[in-house]
Amino acid sequence: MIEKPIIRVEGLRKNFGKLEVLRGLGFEVKRGEVLAIIGPSGSGKSTLLRCLNFLEDYQAGEIHFEEQLVGYRRDAKGRLKPDTESSIRRIRARMGMVFQSFNLFPHKTVLENVIEGPVIVRGESRGAAEARARALLERVGLADKVATYPTKLSGGQQQRAAIARALAMQPAAMLFDEPTSALDPELVGEVLEVMQSLAAEGMTMVVVTHEMGFARQVADRVMMMDRGEIVELGPPSQIFGAPESPRTAEFLRRVLH
Amino acid sequence: MGYVWQWQMIWDYRQVFYRGVEVTAILTFWALLIGMALGLVLGLMRSSRAAWLRVPAAVYIDVFRATPILVQLVWIYYALPILTGVQMGNIASASVGIGLHAAAYIAEIFRAGIASIDRGQSDAAKSLGMSYGQAMRRIILPQAVRRMVPPFINEFATLMKLTTLGSVLAVNELLHEAENLINNTYRPLETYTVVAIVFGLLIYPFIWLSQRLEQHWKTRG
Ligand SMILES: Nc1ncnc2c1ncn2[C@@H]1O[C@H](COP(=O)(O)OP(=O)(O)OP(=O)(O)O)[C@@H](O)[C@H]1O
Ligand SMILES: [Mg+2]
Repeated sequence: MIEKPIIRVEGLRKNFGKLEVLRGLGFEVKRGEVLAIIGPSGSGKSTLLRCLNFLEDYQAGEIHFEEQLVGYRRDAKGRLKPDTESSIRRIRARMGMVFQSFNLFPHKTVLENVIEGPVIVRGESRGAAEARARALLERVGLADKVATYPTKLSGGQQQRAAIARALAMQPAAMLFDEPTSALDPELVGEVLEVMQSLAAEGMTMVVVTHEMGFARQVADRVMMMDRGEIVELGPPSQIFGAPESPRTAEFLRRVLH
Repeated sequence: MGYVWQWQMIWDYRQVFYRGVEVTAILTFWALLIGMALGLVLGLMRSSRAAWLRVPAAVYIDVFRATPILVQLVWIYYALPILTGVQMGNIASASVGIGLHAAAYIAEIFRAGIASIDRGQSDAAKSLGMSYGQAMRRIILPQAVRRMVPPFINEFATLMKLTTLGSVLAVNELLHEAENLINNTYRPLETYTVVAIVFGLLIYPFIWLSQRLEQHWKTRG
């Protein structure tokens, strides 16, 4: 039996006004796979990630998540129409997202941040949500920070709390947008470790990153983007060992030195 | 100079001030309620990306901010009944007029407060699957309100002082009562001084409270 991909993107196009940011992308992500996305600044990596959970709309092409079209549905004539809010929200709740700037809720403690989604969106009881949240925070090494407000945490701690918050929704896939780019160098490792253990447990992950070490060691496949296009997509051994595209080679030469 | 202050006379007329304070409080309460409720709605509309929500709110806000409140009050009291057939009492007219006026300013406070919250906050809320209403109620507004407290207290003080315009609609608020008193006693200096002190006493607790709140939020972080 051939397993269906969890994420399937076809001919994806996105523009901001006249600016074409994504110019016809197609790729798939299998369940349990870790896909790293690399590429120069402004190449559309964040925008692609934000299209996947429909934080941004798109103008052409299709994104399917767990066999469901993201953000649109077909009417009786087969034309695409904007999907209902509730359907979009259901898809978003199945995809965890981790941001470069953490985006924790500053008026809530770490524990309150983590139970917010389960209690408010999924209607879980507070008790059950708290029990799971404590276990998750333990797992990311923040057991002693449950009652702390985010501004009192280091960047690395904030990002680990943000990962716990996303995991609390028990997502089918996790999206990471440069999760370590805002961190002091000595704090990068603790976040990457958490991500690595997630990957080892079989979480499906799409990770935009400048950490080439992570992409090489943890990712199953690496996607190189430039100017809104996929330049190259292949296993790390290909991308880092024998890139087919000169643009990939050139990009790696620049970032690895 | 040989001016002789006569406070005893004012004290004898204290009932007049009590009545005035009561009407001023009623005007303030209703105007504030209308201003807050409508201000929140207008502020949210003004923050919307949808033009059909944003533009009407912007027009309302600009019209009410660009025209004198005195004209707005007179208009609501005299012209609205002619156009709609609805005649409100003096206090109701003044409350509604001041409330509609304040709503324009309060809407701007809400809009600026919401705009001051980083977009990452609504991204994070949405990515958890929250609806617009949930994100506003649980994430955006609680943060925005903290930043809104100082301008809001300003607006509250302004609004309470604006209730003195109720006198043009013959509403017996504090200033109107005081002016009647002056006509009987010819003691304008004493009377106006007391009016100023009473307003100060009414408004100051809220200024104090807002400073305490800011301090509380600052230390918690
Ligand atoms: N909301 C927006 N409105 C207009 N243009 C935007 C918006 N968001 C992104 N862009 C533009 O789209 C292009 C791609 O941006 P994007 O953030 O996706 O790039 P990126 O690959 O993530 O870059 P970086 O590595 O710097 O994060 C850029 O030219 C950017 O200026
Ligand atoms: Mg980016």
